[in-house]
Amino acid sequence: MSAAVSDAWRPVRRLLAEPLGALGIALVLLVIGGAVLADWLSVYEPSRISPRDRFQGPSWTHLLGTDQLGRDLFSRVLHGGRIALSVALFSTAASLAIGVVLGLIAGYGPRWLDNLMLLLFDSIKSFPTVMLALALVTLFGPSLTAVVVVVVLVNVPGYARIIRTQTLALKESEFVTAAQSMGAGTARVLRVHIMPNVIGPLLILASMDIPVVIAIEAGMSFLGLGVRPPTPSWGAILNDGFTAIRDTPWIVIAGGLPIILTTLGFTFLGETLRDVFDPRLKGRG
Amino acid sequence: MTNYLPGDLSRRSFLAAMGAFGAASMAVPRMALSQDGTVLTVRSYSDLQVLDPAYRLSLPEDDIIRSIFAPLVIPQPGDVWGWKPVAVDSIEQLDDTTVAFTLKDNIGFTDGYGQMTADDVKFSIERMADPANESPYAGDWAALKEVEVKDRLSGLIHLKNKFVPLWTTTLPTPAACILSRKAMEEMGDKITTEPVAQSGQYLLADWQPKQKTILRRNPDWAHEPGGYEEIHIIPIEDPATAERGFEAGDLDYTWTSVSSLPRLKENPPAGAVVLEKPSLAYVWLGLNQDNPALQDIRIRRAIQHAIDRQTVVDAAYFGAAGVANGIIAPGLPGSRDAVTYDYDPDKARALLAEAGAEGLTVTLDILNQSERLTAAQVIQANLADVGINCEIKQNDSGTFWTLGSKDGDYFMDLQLVLSRFSMQPDPSWASVWFTPEQVGVWNWERFDNAEYKALHDQGLVEDAFAARDEIYKKMQALMDESGCYVFLTHEVVGAIHRDTVQPGLKPNGESLYSEFKPA
Repeated sequence: MSAAVSDAWRPVRRLLAEPLGALGIALVLLVIGGAVLADWLSVYEPSRISPRDRFQGPSWTHLLGTDQLGRDLFSRVLHGGRIALSVALFSTAASLAIGVVLGLIAGYGPRWLDNLMLLLFDSIKSFPTVMLALALVTLFGPSLTAVVVVVVLVNVPGYARIIRTQTLALKESEFVTAAQSMGAGTARVLRVHIMPNVIGPLLILASMDIPVVIAIEAGMSFLGLGVRPPTPSWGAILNDGFTAIRDTPWIVIAGGLPIILTTLGFTFLGETLRDVFDPRLKGRG
Repeated sequence: MTNYLPGDLSRRSFLAAMGAFGAASMAVPRMALSQDGTVLTVRSYSDLQVLDPAYRLSLPEDDIIRSIFAPLVIPQPGDVWGWKPVAVDSIEQLDDTTVAFTLKDNIGFTDGYGQMTADDVKFSIERMADPANESPYAGDWAALKEVEVKDRLSGLIHLKNKFVPLWTTTLPTPAACILSRKAMEEMGDKITTEPVAQSGQYLLADWQPKQKTILRRNPDWAHEPGGYEEIHIIPIEDPATAERGFEAGDLDYTWTSVSSLPRLKENPPAGAVVLEKPSLAYVWLGLNQDNPALQDIRIRRAIQHAIDRQTVVDAAYFGAAGVANGIIAPGLPGSRDAVTYDYDPDKARALLAEAGAEGLTVTLDILNQSERLTAAQVIQANLADVGINCEIKQNDSGTFWTLGSKDGDYFMDLQLVLSRFSMQPDPSWASVWFTPEQVGVWNWERFDNAEYKALHDQGLVEDAFAARDEIYKKMQALMDESGCYVFLTHEVVGAIHRDTVQPGLKPNGESLYSEFKPA
């Protein structure tokens, strides 16, 4: 029993033993904690405007200052974290799920289907992200859903291609042939024998994609293509601050700092996860 | 290791020197080429879409059109409204209904279309006035009877009746730009972004969509030349971005955001001149009365009472602009001291309850610009306070300026819209956009009032200040009563230019590219 528990904690201990890994975990916990406890930590309602209090610098009353509408930036940053993490986690999970299914089908299915799906993946991948975002927003209007759809569309081809390549390598392997000869159907082979062997590296890759997704959400909101006002978003805070960056730089700092910390946190964590679980890739990328 | 560097220069000292050079080059702001009179780089707030004087869409297009198609006259740059001749040697009003003109003798059209003649003037003006052509600017020539050609260069403009705005908002606008009859008849359609038969002080040399428009001095223009070899016009929607561009040395002239004016006036960038001009423009919240959610006038009146206009304007313009009480700016006949509705959230709630519209959700369309977004968020908060959920929809300029067009597919879905119209120095130029003929063109509120139209027509022939004042005040009262309008501000115009540039500006700060000169 104690040996089993010890085995389970071994990867965590290895993660914490790496300085960058420990820093990554700390930053990620900080961001997640801030988002989860936003209601409890915020003194002010994040969308409450108070023009008389506009452009106040950081103080004990307003820890990160106020914006052009007198809204408390600390509250907006904490609640903006919810949006960023929700979009990142939900859209990455959706991308993973869709990517894994499509990749398995492409890799295990007939050649013509593989070719067709590759063409589809490459066609989607060839769209620049911003162009894709603009096209979707033109069609459906700016919203959180539009952000999620953009992220899913951008990420799915990459994940699917990785799964397809690994599936192609595994489908001729002896244990798959043995399962097939024992009467296992396609679905069972894919679910029980192939998927567990291909999904590990993808989870590491997905954790490293989370900051990219957060940057996409912030970028779209900065451009006015993401969440609708007055919903707090780090990108929207950056946009608010950009107008008055000369006189009131704290707004841009309040919007930019969490993006930087979150990006660093997930990147450090992802890289350390990769080094711990797949040492062959250490130092790459 | 072989040393490829000359003399005693080591690799390390070479890198250090390069680093210092790089740092020094960043420390000195880059300057555009305006200093030597070669290239002037200016910002426009939207890209061009149409270069046809009869179908133009935005103010920046006006400026380009006026530069490449010689107009009869242009506004006089300076602080007093007036006009100066461009394509004419002489132009004068003979009586209430007759204007005589004589063209300059050697203005040519490009692309082999020969010399500009009085017949081209007849064609250009009558083309715009002809209702069959459905020009949104037909109203500028609403009083036109005909243009009579006397000889090759001279003619008479005959009006059906006295037309007071002729010398303020018709002739000194692109409504008096002259096109080649031959070129237009050969083309058989409106001019889009590839002009033919240009004739102005400048020629359109290049247009890179969303990036740059280049005007080049017309080598065949034999009169007062443009001040620069080339004018580069960079479309930048957001004024804050343009200010950063100016400070980085990439622009010689730009409008600034109103909200930046206090800061820029207090601490102007080195080598820059900051200008503040009274604006005639008007910004308002429009309500589409034909949208099902807003058809009940009690709901529209509730929205009027729900908006704290002073707070909206203060928040969006940081106190630099005042609240407007209509579409007509102070100083012009028809300017009002107050609107007929006040900020009264309780009254708004009562009206909503009476209309059974509690919990109403509406969409507010805005141009994706920081000041508009700030104003929209205050409006959103005001509406939330009376129980209306408002969703803000940001649009780029290309999308925004088509939202209410009857040619599009959104005009009936449009509910609330935050708009800004530029203005010429006559009240009729503000009132014309809200007449029944403009429904689905520029009248996106679909305000349709016969009395308003009759008053508008009356204002065009009445020249006594007091009488006009009364007419236009009454028209704005009708707009108030419709519940379709919440008037916000006339703004002020902020502009910044290099001290090496002498800008050509109308009294309200709008630019005249052809009048820019090296200082």
